[in-house]
Amino acid sequence: MSERINIKGMWWKGLGVVLFLYVIVGGMMIPLKPGILSIQPGNAVNGDTVKLEVTGYNTHFLSGGDLRTWLKLDSSHFIQAFQIQATGETMCKATFAIPSSMASYTGVQPLTLILDNEVDGYSIQPNAIFLAINDSLSTGEGWDSSIDEPLHAMGQIRFPYRNILHETIRNTFFHIALWFAMFLLLLAGLWHAVMYLRQGLPQQDIQSAAYHKVAILFGLLGIATGSVWAKFTWNTFWTTDVKLNMTAVAMLIYLAYLILRNTIADEDKRARVSAGYSIFAFIALIPLVFVIPRLTDSLHPGNGGNPALGGEDLDNTLRLFFYPSILALTLLGNWMATLLIRYEKIREKMFYHS
Amino acid sequence: MKYHSKFRKFASLTGAFLAICPSLMAQQTDFLRSTGKIYSVVAVIAIVFIGIAFFLYRLDYKLTKLENQIKNEQ
Repeated sequence: MSERINIKGMWWKGLGVVLFLYVIVGGMMIPLKPGILSIQPGNAVNGDTVKLEVTGYNTHFLSGGDLRTWLKLDSSHFIQAFQIQATGETMCKATFAIPSSMASYTGVQPLTLILDNEVDGYSIQPNAIFLAINDSLSTGEGWDSSIDEPLHAMGQIRFPYRNILHETIRNTFFHIALWFAMFLLLLAGLWHAVMYLRQGLPQQDIQSAAYHKVAILFGLLGIATGSVWAKFTWNTFWTTDVKLNMTAVAMLIYLAYLILRNTIADEDKRARVSAGYSIFAFIALIPLVFVIPRLTDSLHPGNGGNPALGGEDLDNTLRLFFYPSILALTLLGNWMATLLIRYEKIREKMFYHS
Repeated sequence: MKYHSKFRKFASLTGAFLAICPSLMAQQTDFLRSTGKIYSVVAVIAIVFIGIAFFLYRLDYKLTKLENQIKNEQ
């Protein structure tokens, strides 16, 4: 009746473990690119001479070679610091003479800070300083139209430095990969549910239920890890973000699947009802998680008009660990599901024999 | 009866943990935010590990029950 367990079929379990180890070790060891942590003071008036105190992260202001910095108003208005003094590897003071003429700008304008040296490459901090503009001339005098010398690029493999995220960008390998693995496991569960409805073998119901249970566990872990990540980036465990709430609804639909299974005593009926319900739940999951969050604004990248999984949020160095992590978690989830399946098969066999 | 006392122990432990959680969190927040918030990544990995360990514990518990059932039948 039941298949024999093949020892040679172990390879994918080992692969899952090795890949997950690779993700944890590599994902934690590779440093972030240098970046700018803070800039003081945060505002100035046109015509001022401002001394900015810049705090860097993973930077080499002292040992990194020639340090240069610019403030950028727009793509054709730059000023270079006339004096820059590094007081430590992560601390420097840059003095700018901000021109009194502000082209055609009025009101308050944000300036971007650009910092460059040979070792660290360039770092960019948008909204570094807010400029209050008083009675400006519209000539644009005193600004450079471009950065004359080329900027350096960081050559080593480093994870991107993102404001607010900082080191938590590494959660991409765990939080996001968990959701991807959950989705793949739900697909496996759906597949077995459909196969049960077509062929009606009891083991297909067991397989479907096991994949769903592991996927639901991964989903709950995804919510918990996301909550911790949100606490340290958005400063709250739970926001009214549309993706959070819609995912919570999707998880509740799937939790109802577990309750449904427990309430039906008759095995054939339970198998048929839960297979049908799992198809409904999957169809509900697609708009809840993939469609609705994209229609409105969301804090999650890839929603509300943001490019999905691209740019600095997922560059090639992150992909080096992100895709293996999805594979590793899917393989581990599959392992967990097969353990559950084996347990349920033994139990079923016992009930049939007794 | 046995299950009942186990559950009460679990509930009281959980309750105690939840009670000290806020003060622990307040102390730990600064630590978790240090060095570019790297420790929040550690917390995330720990949650994933705890989740998988919980799954293993549940399966272990269920298997033990099954083993006892088999033993009783023989």
